[in-house]
Amino acid sequence: MTSPLIAGYVGGLHRSLPAALADEAADGLTEAYEHHLAAGAGDQEAAQAALAEFGDLPTVIAEFTRQAPGRRAARLLLATGPAVGACWAAAMIAGHAWTWPVPAAARLGSAAALVLAVLALAIAAASRHSYRRTRTSAYAIPLILALDVTAVTVALAAPTLTWALRIAMAVSITRIAFTARALPRLLAR
Amino acid sequence: MRADAQVLKGHLDTLLLASLENGPRHGYAVREALRAGGARFDLPTGTIYPALRRLEAAGLVTGTWAEADGRRRRSYELTAAGQRRLAGDRAAWRDFAAAVTAILDPAP
Repeated sequence: MTSPLIAGYVGGLHRSLPAALADEAADGLTEAYEHHLAAGAGDQEAAQAALAEFGDLPTVIAEFTRQAPGRRAARLLLATGPAVGACWAAAMIAGHAWTWPVPAAARLGSAAALVLAVLALAIAAASRHSYRRTRTSAYAIPLILALDVTAVTVALAAPTLTWALRIAMAVSITRIAFTARALPRLLAR
Repeated sequence: MRADAQVLKGHLDTLLLASLENGPRHGYAVREALRAGGARFDLPTGTIYPALRRLEAAGLVTGTWAEADGRRRRSYELTAAGQRRLAGDRAAWRDFAAAVTAILDPAP
């Protein structure tokens, strides 16, 4: 018992959203439609009333996108990233990091991982109408996690644990707690 | 109307939490509960679902799937953190409303 109008809208939800989100929204829309049918509306009339209450598809998709966990995590990481970077820069300058025994390949690899992660986060954070794009965070967050773990591990091996280094490590450990918690949720959908 | 929509957006989280205060509800029932507050709180139903998901990610509500009338349906209930947040929001709102009322409608 469904109208072509409702089915078309539900198809649109499924094309743009993960199945669980689309299913939930489709259930709400179908319930509104049935509610109007039960109140005595004709098929077309009930479908139109239900769709009018629900909001047009671009608006609903945009709202799911705006509140997507991948987009929110990306925005938080991009907003706090410069401060984390500044802590490490201060610690590395204070600790003469250029004298640390880190192979050139590891330095280059870390830099490349950082650039890729920032790009992926920027795509997720900037997405306004595409839920799929918010999921690029799922690629960025493992990179950030690996970078933080690597940085803390390398710092533990530093000859002297300066205060600047301790602060940078604490900041990274805080971010590890956040990214490790966010990751399963982002990979789930 | 637009102003109302903006004001509503600022308080949507609190209103959603309040609508779950008397037990679990699914999205459509949450929307009906908001409508009971007057046509002023009549926001597009489709936008309630992402808001509920965000509250769930924040640990304020939990959602569970259940089978109803042959359809899969997701209902939400307040967590302990959600109840605390609602109590705090309610107290803050009462203080704010009392302060505004005291200025707009001064006692004679």
